Amino acid sequence: MRKIFLLSFCFLIFLHAASAQQGNPKLFSVNFQQATISQVVTELESKSSYHFYYDQAQFDSLRVTLQVTDKPLETVLDLAFKKTSFYYAITQQQVFLTKGRQIKTDLAVGYSQIHANTPTQPAVSVADYTADVEKKVPDATTENKLYEIGVKTNSIKAGKAILSGYIRDIKSGEAVTGASIYVANTKTGAATDQFGYFSITLPRGRHVLNVRGLGMRDTRRQIILYSDGKLNIEMQEQINSLKEVKISADKVANVRSVALGVTRLDIKDIKQIPTAFGETDVLKVVLTLPGVTSVGEATTGFNVRGGAADENLILLDGATIYNPAHFFGFFAAFNPDIVKDIELYKSSIPEKFGGRLSSVLDITNREGNKKKFTGSAGIGLLTSRLNIEGPIVTDKTSFIFGGRTTYSDWLLKLLPESYKHSQASFYDFNLGISHQINEKNNIYLSGYLSQDKFKLNSDTSYSYSNRNIVLKWKHNYNNKLYSLISAGIDRYQYDISSSANPVNAYDLGFNINQSNFKSDFTYYLSNKHTLNFGLSSILYKINPGTFEPNNPQSLIAPDAVPAEKALESALYLGDIFDVSSNFSISAGIRYNFYNYLGPQTINNYAPNLPKEPANIIDSTAYKSGSIIKTFAAPDIRISARYLLSDNLSIKGGYNTLHQYIHLLSNSTSISPTDVYKLSDPNIKPENGDQVSLGLFKNAKANTIEMSVEVYYKRLRNYLDYKSGAVLLLNHHIEQDVINTQGKAYGAEFLIKKTAGKLNGWMSYTYSRTFLRQDDPNAGELINEGKYYPANYDKPHSFNFSGNYRFTHRYSVSLDLAYSTGRPITLPIAKYEYGGSERVFYSDRNAYRIPDYFRSDFSINIEGNHKVHQLTHNSWTIGVYNLTGRQNAYSTFFTEQSGVISGYKLSIFAAPIPFINYNIRF
Amino acid sequence: MKNWKFLLFIIIISVGCKKPYNPKVINAPSSYLVVEGVINTNDVTTIKLSRTVNLNSAVTTNPVNDATISVESDAGSSYGLTSSVAGTYTLSGTTLDNTRKYRIRIKTEDNKEYLSDFVQTMVTPPIDSIGFNLTGKGIQIYVNTHDPKNNTHYYRFDYSETWKFHSKYNSAFISNGVGILYRTPDQDIYTCFTGNTSSTILLGSSAKLKQDVIYQNPVIAIESTSEKIEIKYSILVDEYALTADAYKFWGNLKKNTEQLGSIFDAEPSEISGNIHNTANATEPVIGYISAGTVSSKRVFISNTQLPQSWYPTYPYSCELDSAWFHAPHTGENQVQDILVPFLALPVSAFFNGGPGPAGYLYSDSQCVDCTIRGTKQQPAFWQ
Repeated sequence: MRKIFLLSFCFLIFLHAASAQQGNPKLFSVNFQQATISQVVTELESKSSYHFYYDQAQFDSLRVTLQVTDKPLETVLDLAFKKTSFYYAITQQQVFLTKGRQIKTDLAVGYSQIHANTPTQPAVSVADYTADVEKKVPDATTENKLYEIGVKTNSIKAGKAILSGYIRDIKSGEAVTGASIYVANTKTGAATDQFGYFSITLPRGRHVLNVRGLGMRDTRRQIILYSDGKLNIEMQEQINSLKEVKISADKVANVRSVALGVTRLDIKDIKQIPTAFGETDVLKVVLTLPGVTSVGEATTGFNVRGGAADENLILLDGATIYNPAHFFGFFAAFNPDIVKDIELYKSSIPEKFGGRLSSVLDITNREGNKKKFTGSAGIGLLTSRLNIEGPIVTDKTSFIFGGRTTYSDWLLKLLPESYKHSQASFYDFNLGISHQINEKNNIYLSGYLSQDKFKLNSDTSYSYSNRNIVLKWKHNYNNKLYSLISAGIDRYQYDISSSANPVNAYDLGFNINQSNFKSDFTYYLSNKHTLNFGLSSILYKINPGTFEPNNPQSLIAPDAVPAEKALESALYLGDIFDVSSNFSISAGIRYNFYNYLGPQTINNYAPNLPKEPANIIDSTAYKSGSIIKTFAAPDIRISARYLLSDNLSIKGGYNTLHQYIHLLSNSTSISPTDVYKLSDPNIKPENGDQVSLGLFKNAKANTIEMSVEVYYKRLRNYLDYKSGAVLLLNHHIEQDVINTQGKAYGAEFLIKKTAGKLNGWMSYTYSRTFLRQDDPNAGELINEGKYYPANYDKPHSFNFSGNYRFTHRYSVSLDLAYSTGRPITLPIAKYEYGGSERVFYSDRNAYRIPDYFRSDFSINIEGNHKVHQLTHNSWTIGVYNLTGRQNAYSTFFTEQSGVISGYKLSIFAAPIPFINYNIRF
Repeated sequence: MKNWKFLLFIIIISVGCKKPYNPKVINAPSSYLVVEGVINTNDVTTIKLSRTVNLNSAVTTNPVNDATISVESDAGSSYGLTSSVAGTYTLSGTTLDNTRKYRIRIKTEDNKEYLSDFVQTMVTPPIDSIGFNLTGKGIQIYVNTHDPKNNTHYYRFDYSETWKFHSKYNSAFISNGVGILYRTPDQDIYTCFTGNTSSTILLGSSAKLKQDVIYQNPVIAIESTSEKIEIKYSILVDEYALTADAYKFWGNLKKNTEQLGSIFDAEPSEISGNIHNTANATEPVIGYISAGTVSSKRVFISNTQLPQSWYPTYPYSCELDSAWFHAPHTGENQVQDILVPFLALPVSAFFNGGPGPAGYLYSDSQCVDCTIRGTKQQPAFWQ
């Protein structure tokens, strides 16, 4: 059989050669006995006008014994090199002899069109799908080496093959997330997922893969793709830690990705941004991005494109974080030494995410170093940090542990005498373990614990805590299909207790628990289709409030709002479809099922009447496990990209979202003691949709990225509250809420420079957000049911974040932020009542506080860059609010000795210097 | 439960700053009717009518005169109020039936009619006691009450405080416009009485307790250096039982006008009372009319009950100077020039070897004359 193949192969070659050299088939007759290459070449050159090129050294092992008569050169050489690793290539009168690989004399197969008459095709159509043979996947570490992928064949078959593998950091073995692999001549590309995994479909043949990763040195790999195969690529970190700002992982993604309104930030960029007290803060950086606003400094929440602060899903390695802040919102609860990167989805929210209306903030922690033990420590004005990481089993299992704690009590000591005995403390811990079972299976465990405590003058004490654990299993079925299955438990709780007045001494507790199960599949169907599908389920259990006496004298009547249970499930399917090289669509559907579960007693209200005690018809008691109410609705996620040119694209998107869990908060910003409520028969789920359109352009070799995005968004059934509503321990919250509708629109302009000594980004956003209460059963309506601006409606907002690198060791960062002042409700009249002047307020949010402006500056000094030293040190010195502008945090009117006066409250009202010292070991 | 917000507020103030804020003049489109008062079923009912004024107005009081007010019961009876002081309308000498519901009807001189919702009569339980606790800074006065029937739950308090104080220097002399004479006891200006009324809204609730008990509900804090407690202090606390709805109104009013301004505080919200224009339901009318009885209690706190180390701080800086009949260098008659025409008040005489005074030590009137800040008339209730 094999002989027949070989024969036909030779025959075809002969035919081809014959046809190619029509008219002048020079024939040779030779007789070699153990001839060296130079003897062979000399003989052949002497008998023809051919000239041979070769490397003598490569051929020193070759001895040719051959006798032929009147054969063309090709036959002679075929026979001479038979069963060796030597190749020849003939072009006109030149012959190239090579070892190990062949020089191609025409353009690479797959470069443009496949040679229709390439005679080699049938000869090698053997064993094409043996690509998955178990063998060690090569680690491609060198740029100039040519890696062979798949089952090697003498000639390259037409068609395409799939290349997949992992991209890792050569030093730590960590996955490089969001790295891009781009093949210039075919204009195809792929990006790695959170595990560093990629899969790309390429024409068979030789390619140069350009690999770029966040914080990694750009690199390339040369491959010959014979058939489906794997290649792991190791990248080097940028050695200087004075990194360029790279707001996006992937320099071409700005223009080429199908998604709109997605921003990824690497921790190194985040660390460049000066913050108050010098504490690197992943959430404060989010506020510098276009489309993100907040009600003020030192607040926990942020608002994305007009959404409320509880409409953001904040994920830490897949675990839901309910309170992402420490110390009343002054600090983010995420340890900057552990965080790898953050990704904010404002518009194109992937199908795998759901359950919140406005955005997803996906925070990914690093994996531990798989090769050696390292660590770092940092000392700041208010906190100290330590992290340690290293291999448990080299190259297979690693851990990373990080901890932070505060010594902020000194700040409280600065307070007036009567508050000196107050205490505040917090800590957080992260633990991550990753283990590679084999090439196809990886497991990841991550845990998070944060705790805040504060106490006012030994009176009322408060504490709140996030506790999360998640286990993930990643399985590769083959090059085309992989799955990620995860299960986890998330918990948020707070406790308040007071014992100052023995009769009223109490303990108040709240907690929310959710158990999650998720399975996400990615299937690279073909080079045109990438499918994502999966299902997820969250079981919520909320204890909305327990209120108990905390000493024997206390007369507090124990009270507990009954626990709530619900199951939120979703099935999703999405397809990224490359219709043509210029046009791609990402379309998906996520079908949500929400079940409100018993045991519970539900009040039934008379239809079309306000939900008031008087309108309760009766109530129904449901047993444990029974389904009380089901809401089911599809979410649609569509976006499309059309490339107008290599550097210019236009994108559009539309998506809908549903939210079943509501934060009950009637204050301007989220406070740690707000309560969560699940949708039930009397509280509708929130839903919203958004349409967006964008123009994206790259310039100067992708080092300058520009974009303009416009959006229009609608929000429905957002909860507002009747005036004087008490939200804590409210057994009938439906009687105190009012459904609110919202609309938001805006235009976001962003320009960023990703390389060079000066880099950074600049954005301008025009955006409006309006809310309206038009619930006819609400009773009293805010502003008579007309639209009014939301608290975070800041029409004009400008941000600049820049870094200038003088040398590898010194750089300076400057941040500027300007925005219109947020809306407030101001008094418009005064009167006497209850023995004092009182004020009468205007329509809600009819006025604004003064505009906001802040500038921050920092200098980053790196220790020397010698690779071999015990520790690497760095300093950050800076000033927050350089100009000392007294930005209004809030304005308020309050009575003092019977007279009402207006005050403007500013925080960080003076330049605040800070210093941070970091050690890596 | 809001205490931590207060802590945050303090922290913010210490990191940041609080400055007066006066936005550019904002004027309400019109002036709204303000109705304040309680239908007191077993004593004098007082209703005050006023209108709101613009924020930048110098005076806040804007009484509404010439209105007709009557109290109506759900049994159909009506009682007219009479006005003696501007904007104040009273009904006295009538005892109302506590089992009925009441409302008020107001007809203003521009012929607009306002009506409050019928409210249930709340019988206020007696105040059990008023006491005080020593705090690091002074004293905290509190009130205790309870309803043995367990059906009051919501309480409001206000108070009127009176205290005896003296001026910095005890003057033994007085000018009669011609010369300096000995001050007679009835011309004494060293010891006076003064008082104040509550300006903050004081609320108490036992809704979350097993028994209807209000224990040590804070009333007022007095600093250890305050003149109020230098001799003797008295406080009269009035207690009003409220319905849940009225409690909500007062709570809202307190939140809106006494809040601290941290952004964790609730936003200002509409204060909807229970009074409406009968012709235009959307016209804002400020106020809530409750009905019920009032319980009062007075206590005295004497300086001897307080730590001996506490010492009052006089509110003005005071110095004694000397006025000579013959000033040593100039020969000027300072007594004639300064003390006789009341430019300052003589305190005591000083001598320079002669039989009569060589002059008088004197000080400013706010350091000598307590009647500037109070009255010498001892209140009838004083013990």
